[in-house]
Amino acid sequence: MSAFAAILSKDLRLELRSGVSTIAMVALAMLVLVVLVFALNPGVARGPEAAAGALWIALVFAGMLGASRALMAESENECIRALLISPVDRATLYAAKLAASAIFMLVALGAGAILTVLFFNLEFSGALVRLAPILILGVIGFAALATLLAAISGRARGGELLLPLLVVPMFVPALIAGVRASTAALSAAPMATARDWIGILVAFDVLFVTAGYLLFEHVIGQE
Amino acid sequence: MGRKLNNVLGAVTLALMVVALWMIFAWVPTEAEQGIVQRIFYFHVPCAWVAFAAFAIVAVAGVFYLWLGGQIWDDLGYAAAEIGMLFCTLMLLTGSLWAKPIWGTWWTWDSRLTTSFVLWLLYGGYLLMRAMLEESGQVARFAAVVGIVAALDVPVVIVSVRLWRTIHPAVLVTRQGGHGLQDPRMVVTLLVSITAFTLMFAWLLMLRLAILRTRTRLDEIARAIAIAEFRAGRA
Repeated sequence: MSAFAAILSKDLRLELRSGVSTIAMVALAMLVLVVLVFALNPGVARGPEAAAGALWIALVFAGMLGASRALMAESENECIRALLISPVDRATLYAAKLAASAIFMLVALGAGAILTVLFFNLEFSGALVRLAPILILGVIGFAALATLLAAISGRARGGELLLPLLVVPMFVPALIAGVRASTAALSAAPMATARDWIGILVAFDVLFVTAGYLLFEHVIGQE
Repeated sequence: MGRKLNNVLGAVTLALMVVALWMIFAWVPTEAEQGIVQRIFYFHVPCAWVAFAAFAIVAVAGVFYLWLGGQIWDDLGYAAAEIGMLFCTLMLLTGSLWAKPIWGTWWTWDSRLTTSFVLWLLYGGYLLMRAMLEESGQVARFAAVVGIVAALDVPVVIVSVRLWRTIHPAVLVTRQGGHGLQDPRMVVTLLVSITAFTLMFAWLLMLRLAILRTRTRLDEIARAIAIAEFRAGRA
């Protein structure tokens, strides 16, 4: 078994047995949606545009929770030290951690998407299928940034505070593109209107997965 | 690059700044459509230029730090980020002052405003990260990584925000090509102002670097004294 698969399956098994992160992320995504419905009133909080915005807010918050949990779990019993001593290069470690957080985020967002359809008066239809690849792209981009930056913010006292300050501004382009593409997908507009936005999401993912892969060794380990 | 050079640089900056102020307020003709408020343009554009140059320096310094090591690269990135933040704030403020009479609002989500504001948030995060991790002993490497990632983000921000919406006047390169400054004196004033601001940036950067270098030296001295006292106590 490759190192990547080993670390990923370890994280997945851990999560299957405790479920703490995913349950917390699903709950947070749900709370975000509920807060938005109350904040905007049900009259405004309906239809594809509001739903797409709400779903991406849920993505940002759930992602932030997931990213800080993922590294906290490793540092609790000094597990991170064992991981760093093991003959795994840092880039592989990054890729595995990125994959694990992306999977947890996707589970949370899957639940979030279903709740959005219910809360924002949409129909269960092919729109959800068209939404899926857009959300996957957004999740990969967010996890790529958050995994890299959580390794930095985790060192600070009150790092949970620092992580959003670093991640959210950097995520802005993906947020703009993702909300627009999701609106198009949910409102059953022809997907050609969303082509540019999806292009930006793909570029964002490629850029930051590569950057994280190359830079992770500089932020993890080595006292 | 001693103190003397820095003083010369400071004096030249001061002189040119006075000339630039005279040109902006007395010499250059008033713009026909916008009136007197257009003069803020000669502050706004140099601030934007300095902010972008400073943030580029942060990224380049980050690359060099990770590649070659050396405290000087970290100091350079830190100093440039601080000064860039200052001029980015000034750019947003001068833009906002101009926008109120011309666009009728202090703030709007125009593409360049949004891009500048996102930049401001990015480097605000960078500086906060530095402040929170100062004692970790690894802040230089973290800062280099954040500086590089932030710079990678900038082109994506620009593209996505431009696709999102824009109403910003394109003065320097208009949509028809060429530039939108009617009078040659306007071009000269802008160039002098940009030069003055660039010199001021260089001067502030040198001062800040000297302070950071002194701080590193003081830390070394304090450590040496502590070690010497510890040894003396044991003897």
